[in-house]
Amino acid sequence: MLYLLASGGLLSFNTGFAIWIAISLVVFLLIMMKYAMPPIMAALEGRETKIRESLEAAEVALAKAEAISKDNDKALREAEQTAHQIRKEAKEEAERIRGERVAKAKDEAEQIIEQAKVDIEQEKQSALLALRQEVAHLAIKSASMILDAELDEEKNKKLVDNYINDLSKN
Amino acid sequence: MIKFFTFLSLFIVVFLLGQPTVLAADADTESNSPIDIMGTVADHDYFTFFGTKLYLPRLFLWQDDNGSTQFSTYGSTKKALASGNFEQIDYVITPVKGSMLIDFSLTSHLLYFWFGLGALALFTMYAGSRYKKGIGTSTAPKGVLQNLFEVFYEFIRDEVAKPNIEGDKHKKYVPYLFTMFMSIAFMNIFGLLPYAATATADITVTAVLASFTFFVTQFSGTKDHWQHVFWFPGVPLGVKFLMIPVELIGLFTKPFALAIRLFANMMSGKIMIIAILGLIFIFNEMYGSIAAYGVSIFSVVVTSILYILKLLVAILQAYIFSLLSAVFIGMAVEEHEHDHDHEEHIHADLSV
Repeated sequence: MLYLLASGGLLSFNTGFAIWIAISLVVFLLIMMKYAMPPIMAALEGRETKIRESLEAAEVALAKAEAISKDNDKALREAEQTAHQIRKEAKEEAERIRGERVAKAKDEAEQIIEQAKVDIEQEKQSALLALRQEVAHLAIKSASMILDAELDEEKNKKLVDNYINDLSKN
Repeated sequence: MIKFFTFLSLFIVVFLLGQPTVLAADADTESNSPIDIMGTVADHDYFTFFGTKLYLPRLFLWQDDNGSTQFSTYGSTKKALASGNFEQIDYVITPVKGSMLIDFSLTSHLLYFWFGLGALALFTMYAGSRYKKGIGTSTAPKGVLQNLFEVFYEFIRDEVAKPNIEGDKHKKYVPYLFTMFMSIAFMNIFGLLPYAATATADITVTAVLASFTFFVTQFSGTKDHWQHVFWFPGVPLGVKFLMIPVELIGLFTKPFALAIRLFANMMSGKIMIIAILGLIFIFNEMYGSIAAYGVSIFSVVVTSILYILKLLVAILQAYIFSLLSAVFIGMAVEEHEHDHDHEEHIHADLSV
């Protein structure tokens, strides 16, 4: 162990040597920290950022695609449903319109029939009236002819009236 | 063993701190033992390249006998000695007349420290050029080196900086932590190469590294950090005064533990390998060559296992150093309302 204590031994601190080492290390560290390392650090960090961003972007894109496909499915289903609904509605509408038309036609027909009946009745009444007048007229004419012949107008008028009453009852 | 070592070095470092000490010189001529463990692990004035010693220049800041300060440079230790101004006493170079102020000599550990930084610089520049070209930014990263760079960088950023330094503040410290982790790892691994020296197995290197963490921590300390040091919240008044020295010591023990931990781990592995391989030569000298052959089987197997372990430790210690740096910085930059399990936190971390 005496050897260790001797100057120049293993455990001696050599000042001149230390100064050399300190100077070279300072210069080297400055070069490394100022010039050598920063571009490498920036390059590696840039690459990592790029990879991370690409991964994130891919994930986002995938999620987006999935959402779009889901949306598409949903839209398709909705469209089908809407189409179904529309068809149903159209059918109902058509049914309704048809029913309305039929009812209306029926109504109109009934109205026309009614009108026709009323008309017929009126015609019949007026015809009857005309006929009565004509008959009365004829009767009077014939009666006057008879009168001319018998002149018993009282008796004949009663006869004619009876006859007309009988006629109208028929 | 490491604990004892740490304890011992605590005293020694305190005694030797700041004293102008000089290097272990070429220890070739010294030894009468077949192996020289301390001489191998110590710092040297030469750089070994496949067994060839390349002597490094020596730079001295010294005071001559007239009291004037001088700065002298020599191509090698031999030239320094030949100049007549310096002499070697106990492997330490001292001026013949006057005194040594600071020994600025280049050493093997300094070279390996520079190799570590240089390797990291090349690695970072390579990765940087790749990102500049767009490889790894607009396309996937290509090639082993770039992917390796990303593994280490993202490990430091996501596992070391982010969990320990709150919020967006961690980004500021990633370059520091990354530099510390990688340079220590490179130095540790370079130390495993044949003929190489481990720069981190030098208390001076680890002390400077730890002091950097210390300064980064203190300079990024928030009001809360300093309040915890000088006026500990949530305790009675008397305890507040008691806590001031405790916290002040705590500021320095953290980087001190960092320095000693790294140093002791790297040094112990090195000493173990040399000692176990040295057994072969010791047995050869003491019991003859047959015993040495027998021991060599044991030594080589154990050394191989130790080498694998050391490779693990090389990375692990770099990780622990940067992790604890991140924890210390994280505690300093933290802004908390009232956090009483704070102290427990520190002790739990220090026991790593």
